[in-house]
Amino acid sequence: MSLPNKPWLPRLAFTAAQTAPRGDTLVVIFLRGAADVLNMVVPHGESAYYRLRPGLGIPRPDDNRAPSDTRTIDLDGFFGLHPDLCPMLEMWQYKHLALIHACGAPDESRSHFRAMELMERGVDDERGPASGWIGRHLATLHTGNFSPLRAVGLGELPQRSLSGAVPVSALRSIADFHLGNNIRAVHQLRAALNILYADDPVGQETVRMLDLLQKIDPTQSRGSDYSYPETNFGLALRQTALLIQAEIGLEVAAIDLGGWDTHFAQAGIHASLLKDLAAGLAAFYADMAAQMKSLTVVMMSEFGRRAAENGSLGTDHGHGSMMMVLGGHVNGGKVYGQWPGLEKEQLIGPGDLAVTTDYRDVLGELLQKRLNNHAVQEIFPGYAVRSVGVV
Amino acid sequence: MSISRRDFLKLTGLVAASSALASCRPLYELAGHPHLAQWPPLNPADFRALNRLTFGARPGERARVAEIGLQAWVEEQLALDSSDDLACALRLRNLDTLDMSAQQLFDHSNKLFDDFDIQTIPSQLRQGTLLRQVYSKRQLYEVMVEFWSNHFNIATDKGACYYLKTVDDREVIRSHALGSFHNLLWASAHSPAMLTYLDNQANHKGAPNENYARELLELHTLGINGGYTQADVMELARCLTGWSVKEHFWRGEFTFDGEKHDTGEKVVLGAQIRPGGQEEAESVLERLGRHPSTALFITSKLARRFLADDPPASLIQKAAQAFETSKGEIRAVLRVILLDGLPLAREKYRRPVNFVTVALRMLDAESDCGPAIQDYLLRMGQMPFTWPTPDGFPDRSQAWQGNLLPRWQFALALSRNELEKTSVNLTALLSTSGHENPLDMLASLLFGNLPSQTERDALLKAIRSAGASDDELLPILASGLLASPAFQWS
Repeated sequence: MSLPNKPWLPRLAFTAAQTAPRGDTLVVIFLRGAADVLNMVVPHGESAYYRLRPGLGIPRPDDNRAPSDTRTIDLDGFFGLHPDLCPMLEMWQYKHLALIHACGAPDESRSHFRAMELMERGVDDERGPASGWIGRHLATLHTGNFSPLRAVGLGELPQRSLSGAVPVSALRSIADFHLGNNIRAVHQLRAALNILYADDPVGQETVRMLDLLQKIDPTQSRGSDYSYPETNFGLALRQTALLIQAEIGLEVAAIDLGGWDTHFAQAGIHASLLKDLAAGLAAFYADMAAQMKSLTVVMMSEFGRRAAENGSLGTDHGHGSMMMVLGGHVNGGKVYGQWPGLEKEQLIGPGDLAVTTDYRDVLGELLQKRLNNHAVQEIFPGYAVRSVGVV
Repeated sequence: MSISRRDFLKLTGLVAASSALASCRPLYELAGHPHLAQWPPLNPADFRALNRLTFGARPGERARVAEIGLQAWVEEQLALDSSDDLACALRLRNLDTLDMSAQQLFDHSNKLFDDFDIQTIPSQLRQGTLLRQVYSKRQLYEVMVEFWSNHFNIATDKGACYYLKTVDDREVIRSHALGSFHNLLWASAHSPAMLTYLDNQANHKGAPNENYARELLELHTLGINGGYTQADVMELARCLTGWSVKEHFWRGEFTFDGEKHDTGEKVVLGAQIRPGGQEEAESVLERLGRHPSTALFITSKLARRFLADDPPASLIQKAAQAFETSKGEIRAVLRVILLDGLPLAREKYRRPVNFVTVALRMLDAESDCGPAIQDYLLRMGQMPFTWPTPDGFPDRSQAWQGNLLPRWQFALALSRNELEKTSVNLTALLSTSGHENPLDMLASLLFGNLPSQTERDALLKAIRSAGASDDELLPILASGLLASPAFQWS
């Protein structure tokens, strides 16, 4: 059974190309299932949008036939927010929120699973490195931070993007991260675990997390004043805020929000997802006011959905997507990216929004300018990152 | 996914977590319960193989393999039928929804003046599934049931799937788990739960919905590299227009609605489809079942489940040949993968369901597999029938590493008998084992071999230094070994 009889090994060192002080805390939110971004950041200035979506289109800001709370909230005269994203308007007005439209990956398989796999690995095809892009970021930048919470995956399974040389654990709830109240039994089990996990970095990571998280008392934090939605997404953002406020070394947090595969009866499902997303981000934004200068949040999805609605008031798999970047150093209040248009000859494949900005341009820029990591060629091998200007 | 207010407050730490778990140890006596006899030695390769073929090797199974050999044991497993499993059936007797028809299930959940009860039926399905994994003698069958449940994944929180999945589990997955893949595919395509889960009930003439058509090609048959295009997805979706589920009379039964079917010409995978009705998509199903890409895709996944994350290509080729020549007979494919492949098996990280069931089986626990067990599975990330996307729970080791804490919590709670309606009797295990000391007993049960003297000394010294008394030794050793890296891999 190979019980190691060695004493605790020191934490496995990783080889880092560069040393730099840590930059912003990065929060990566992945909308799983291919979010319908055309109904999130609505091109209300484009008549083709309304022709393609007679049932699902979000009415123009000035469409008096529709109740005012169902209309697009205008942002710049051409694009507008879905009304259920209203809680995010404040971030836009303070110029802390930037949107990059028609953004995405070159892969055109329209398969969730291939698209997520490639995007989280940050590669063009299966031959690229097996680790994730965040994993390679952690491995290529030595920040002098040895916290077991340098990166964390919120939820039950650490996200694919986190995998790599630096062990990263999942965390669902700080309040629940303990071995129980029986002090004698816990003390004895810890002694056994120290021996059993002497040469296992993931296990050592978990032991160190147990020690570190004991220092946080979730009941004593101001965050309870802000109304996080009572969902897994709200829970994840709340845990992230606690970790940031406790200053225990968090550099990257990965959060998932699933359920976006809206082939059927999209409007209601989409609205409740958008409410969850917007309420969560608004609570987080308020909770993080004091830390906003050193915080960057990026939101992405594996691809977008078909420009035309389908026959069941839903949308099928498409191509071009959209990214959101939120933070104190964001050049916000602007929709970035070249808009390819929704006219028939402008759409690609079976009728999908084209991609004019690669998602790696956005992530690469954040890594270089906000996280002090210039090894973007190792993080996104074979891809030359171009500046977008969001930060 | 929404979470209850009580859970949200608990998890955010806004109210203290309750630690007062009622301890309940029902004395559950059953006919045919296996007795722990001797502890036969088994070579490490056979021990690993047996753990791949079961939800944890019980001493009785180890003894049988030592007696007749692995090959004969596989044949014994392939030959068992439900009449061989009465003791397990007894444990399911209170789960009254497992045998109901779709209409009965719907009526059962309809609380008339109240909301629909969408919890009881999936909760019984999960409990029944876990009970069978822990207590069924047909272990290889249950492993295959789990495999196909993932391959044809359906999440019970999608619309009517909360009750339709119970029918799918019984009439699609369990009926064909060791039968013919063609029949399994056919049954799944006609399954109201699958058609609902992947939105095909909304797939109409003139306005197709691609969801099911795409996953049928990508996930159920050919695989992403199997040689289909976006155009094939769209054409197959047209063939599938009108495949739907009855809503009023015979609620929850399959129906083909000719009114909603697109009768135009179609081309799928290079072949013209003669305009017709239901038989259009059925002819495609037949071709998909025979397609070499399907043989390769299914056998690759089986080899990944039983052998290794990256199984040898030559073995997959051989299994794919068996798939083609046997016309998709699952037993014929399994014989190649298991008998030729198991000697080549490599370590895999245990998925949560496996981790929990192996612990329960090897420690001979009595468990109702109810809420206390399921809550841990949720926190470990593998609550059965809740994986939201149609690809099923991941089957690569890498996906599951990095969430150790709930496993450690479970190890401690199980060993200390703190789980509601689950109990172990470690003292009785020790006295029947023939071993003199607890560590040898537990190590031979859980790992199939004994620790070296240095390992033994290091672990015992650490636990003793931490103040463990003689009475505490057995539970703390059990929790430590269940929590150890060696037990996470098999």
